[in-house]
Amino acid sequence: MALISAAQMPQKRAGTIERMLPWLWSGSLLATLGFLVIYPMLMLIVGAFTVVSPISSATATEVSRFSLQNFVDTLTSPAVGQAVLNSVIACGAGTVFAVILGVMMSWIVVRTNTPARRIIGEISKVPLFIPPLVAAVAWSILGSPDTGLLNIFFQKMGIAININLYSMVGLITVFAMYYCPYVYMFASSALMNMDPSFEEASEISGAGALRTQFQITFPLIAPAILSSMLLSFVIMLGIYGVPAVLGLPANISLLPVHLYQLTVLSPPQYNAAAAVSIIMILVTLVFVYLQYKILAGRSYVTISGKGFRPKTLELGIWRWFTFALALIYIVVVVILPVFALTVMAFRKFMFIPSLASLFDLTQYSMGHFESLFDNPQTLMSMWNTLEVGLITAVIGLAVALSISYTVQRSKAPGRRLIDMISTSAASIPGLIVGVAYLWAWIGLPDGLYGTLWILGLALVGRHIPDAARILASSLIQVHKDLEEAAWIAGSGMFKTVRTIILPLCKPGVIATVSLLFILSVRELGTSLFLYTADTIVMPVLLLGLYESGTLGTTAAFGLFQIIFIAGVIGLANVIRHLVTRNT
Amino acid sequence: MLNVVDLYKQFSAERNAIDGVSFEIPKGDIAVLLGPSGCGKTTTLRCVAGLEHPSAGRIQIDGVTVSAPQEKIQIAARHREVGMVFQSYAIWPHMSVLQNVMYPLKNRGMSRDEIDRRAKEALEMVGLWEYANRSATALSGGQMQRVALARSMGYSPKLLLLDEPLSNLDAKLRTRLRVDLRRIIKDIGVTALYVTHDQSEAVVIGDVIGVMNEGRLLQMASAQEIYNKPTDLFVASFTGATNTLTGRVLARTDSTGTIDMGQGAQLEAMLPDLAQVGANVTVAIRPENINIGVSTGVNTFQARVESAQYQGSQTAYTLVLFGGTIEAIELGSGMRLTDGQVVPISLPRELCWAFLDKT
Repeated sequence: MALISAAQMPQKRAGTIERMLPWLWSGSLLATLGFLVIYPMLMLIVGAFTVVSPISSATATEVSRFSLQNFVDTLTSPAVGQAVLNSVIACGAGTVFAVILGVMMSWIVVRTNTPARRIIGEISKVPLFIPPLVAAVAWSILGSPDTGLLNIFFQKMGIAININLYSMVGLITVFAMYYCPYVYMFASSALMNMDPSFEEASEISGAGALRTQFQITFPLIAPAILSSMLLSFVIMLGIYGVPAVLGLPANISLLPVHLYQLTVLSPPQYNAAAAVSIIMILVTLVFVYLQYKILAGRSYVTISGKGFRPKTLELGIWRWFTFALALIYIVVVVILPVFALTVMAFRKFMFIPSLASLFDLTQYSMGHFESLFDNPQTLMSMWNTLEVGLITAVIGLAVALSISYTVQRSKAPGRRLIDMISTSAASIPGLIVGVAYLWAWIGLPDGLYGTLWILGLALVGRHIPDAARILASSLIQVHKDLEEAAWIAGSGMFKTVRTIILPLCKPGVIATVSLLFILSVRELGTSLFLYTADTIVMPVLLLGLYESGTLGTTAAFGLFQIIFIAGVIGLANVIRHLVTRNT
Repeated sequence: MLNVVDLYKQFSAERNAIDGVSFEIPKGDIAVLLGPSGCGKTTTLRCVAGLEHPSAGRIQIDGVTVSAPQEKIQIAARHREVGMVFQSYAIWPHMSVLQNVMYPLKNRGMSRDEIDRRAKEALEMVGLWEYANRSATALSGGQMQRVALARSMGYSPKLLLLDEPLSNLDAKLRTRLRVDLRRIIKDIGVTALYVTHDQSEAVVIGDVIGVMNEGRLLQMASAQEIYNKPTDLFVASFTGATNTLTGRVLARTDSTGTIDMGQGAQLEAMLPDLAQVGANVTVAIRPENINIGVSTGVNTFQARVESAQYQGSQTAYTLVLFGGTIEAIELGSGMRLTDGQVVPISLPRELCWAFLDKT
C-alpha cells in the first residue's frame, strides 16, 4: 500500500503569466467587443442625447451637455409619426402573411404526401438568398402601374386588372414573400422534430386528422411560429431596399428610408438620425424581450434521442391541390421575378408592343451588361464587395469562434459578460449599426471612415450573434470528453482547439464563413451609411442605378448579384461535401 | 376479445417486420409481448392500435374485424375504441392534466356532465385528481405515466394498449409502478396488450407472456410455463437459460431422451416432439438450476471450477463440463468452492431443455 502524499508529487508552480492568461484573454475579447459593438453604440447614444455634430471637433463641455431636444423633435415630427405608422402597417401585415405562407409551406413539405415535396422544400428557402433590394427591383419591373410586365400581360390578354406595387399593398406583398422563409425554417424544423406520438395519441383518442392538426399539431408548434414571427418583424423593420424601391415612388416613407434621408440632407441631421435609431432599437428590444418571455420554458418540441420520422398525412386527391399551392408559391416568389429580371436585363428596349415580342429574340442583346461593365464603378464595387466579404468572413469567424468557445467551453473570467454583449448585438437592426459606425468614425480623420474596413467591421459587429450561434450549436456536438482526452494526452488549450475542436466543427465553420460572406455581399442597410465614392459596394451601386432610372442595367446587375450569390452557395456546398467526406 | 390471425407487416422488401403472428387474448387478461428491440412487438401493437397498416392477416377486437388487408378492411385508429399509453406518454404539453384527460371524451361527443364525471373518475383512479389543473409540463415522469393511463382509460375502451410504458422511468420507480399498474388494470378489468423488453416486468404484469424474435411469436404462455417449459431455444436463452450445450440424440422415450454430449457423457433432457434419434440438438439450462455438490439422481457429473466470481448475495461459477464451460449460480453470501476444485453437479432432467438445431 503506497499512498503518495500530495507533497511528494512533482509540482509545478504556475507562473504569474500563466495565472494572468485567462484574464488577458477575456480582457482582449472584451476589448474587441468594445471596439466592434460598445464604442459605436456609445457614440450613437451620445449623438442622440446631445446636439453636437459628429464632424466638428466637439469640446468636452459640449459633449457633456445632455439634451433631450432630438427626442422631442423626433417624437413631435409628423413625418416620423407617419413613418412609424407606415412601418408598423407594412411590417405587421407583411409578418402576418409571411406566417400564413411559411406555415402553409412547411406543413405541405413536412407533413403531407404532396408530390415532389423535398424539392419544393429546397426551393422554398431560395428567397432567403435573393437580396431584398433585388427582389424589390424585380417586383417593380413586374408590378409598376404603367410599364409593369404583369400589367402589360393583363392588358394584352384583355383582363381588366391593373396592379400597382408602388403602394402599401406592394410593400406588404414583397415583405411577406421574401420573409416567409424565416417562418418556414422555424416551423418546418419544429414540425420535423415533434414526437409523432402526440398526434397518434390524439388519433387514438378519437380525433380525426384535421382536428388533430388544429388541436394538437399547430398549438404545439405555436411557440416556434411566434418566435419566427417576431424575428421576421424585427428584420423587416430594418430593411431599406424594399421601401426605397416600392414605397418612395408612392410617397410612402418607412422608418429606414426616413432615417437615411436625415443623413443625406444638407446639412445632415446626424443627431436626429441617432435619436430615431435609439427609438428603433428600443422597439426591437421590446420584441426580442417578448420573444424571450414567450419562449422561456415553452419550447414544446424537444429533440429526443429517438430518431423518428414525422408522420405524413395521406391527402389522397387533395395532394394535387397542395402541390398546386406550392407550385404557385414557387412561380410567384422565385420564377416570376427572375424571369422579369432576365427579360429586362437582355431586352434592348423597355417597350413591349405585344406578348409575342416578349419572345422575339431580335429584341434581346447583351447591351445592358456591356454598359454595366463599361462603368468603372461596377468593377470597383465588385472588388470592394469581395474585399468587404472577406474581411467580414475571416474576422467574423475569428471573433465568433473565440467568443463561442470561451462562452461554451472555458471557465474564463467574464464569459457571461462576453456572452451578453455579443448576443445583444442581435437586437440592433442592420441599418442602425451603420448609423452607429457613422457616428463612431466620421469625426476621426485618418480613422476607419472612408475605408473598406469600416464596412467589414460594421458587418462583423452586426453578425457576431448569428455566427456565434451557428458555431455554438456545432461546438455543443463535440463532447467535452473529446477535448479533455486531448488535454490528458498532453495537448495545450490552443493545440486542442486546433487539432480536435476545429476539425470536428468543420461543417459549422464552413457554414459560418459562407453565411457571413453571403450576408455581407447582400447587405444594403449597413453599407448605405458608411460607403464613400471609393468604397461603394454592389448593393449600394444597384440602388444608385435603380434611382438613376436605367432599368435595363439595374436588372442586369440584379441578375448578376443573384447568380453571384448562388455561385457562392454552390461553392460552399462543394467545399462542405469535400471536407465532410474525408471525416 | 383480441384476435390476431396470421399478421404480416412488411416495411422493406427483404424482411418482414411481423412474420405471421397469431394470438388471442381472453377478456380481462393482460398479455405481454416480450422481446429484444426490433423483434416486431411494437409494430404488432401499433397494428392493433391502427397506427400501422398490416400487409396481411386479420385483427379482431371484440368480434369486430378492424384490420383485414385482403378484404380491404382497415378501420381508423380513432374508431377502434382502444386506449393507448405511449412510451413517451405523449402528454400534450399545451394542455392541463384535466384537459388531457378530457380530450378523448370530448371527441366522443359526450355531455358536459358525463365528461366531467368520467375525467374525475379517471384521475381519481390514478390518484392524481388534485393535480387536475396543473400544467402537464410540471409533472414528474411517473405522474405523466399515470396521466397517460387516465387519459386512455377515461372513455372505457374495449382494449388497452401499452407500449413500454415504464421504460422512461428510473429503475426503482419502475419496480414499484409495475405492481401498481397491474393492480389498476385488473381493478378496471380491461383487456390489455402490453409491450416490453424487460422480462422481470413481463412476469409481474402479464397473465400470459408472448416472446417474440425477428417478427415471429415464438411462444405464448403463462410466465411459469415460459420459464419452465420453453418451446424454443430463443425463448429459453432470452429468459435467462444462458448455458447452451450441443449434442446428438441417442434414444428417446415419451417426452424425454438421452443425449450424447461427446467424451462419452450422456445427458437426460426434455426433447421436442420432432427430435428423432440421431438428430443434433442444443440443450439449454439456467445457471440457477444447476445443483452444485449434489451427486444423486440422473445427470450427475464431475465438473471442475475454472473460476469463481463472488457477487455478494450469490456466487457465479464457471464450470468445465463436457469439454466446454457452463455458468452456475449458487445463492447465499457464502462462497463454498475455489478455483480448480472438482465437484459433483446435478442437472435436473425437467430443467434441461433440448431444441433441434436448425439445419
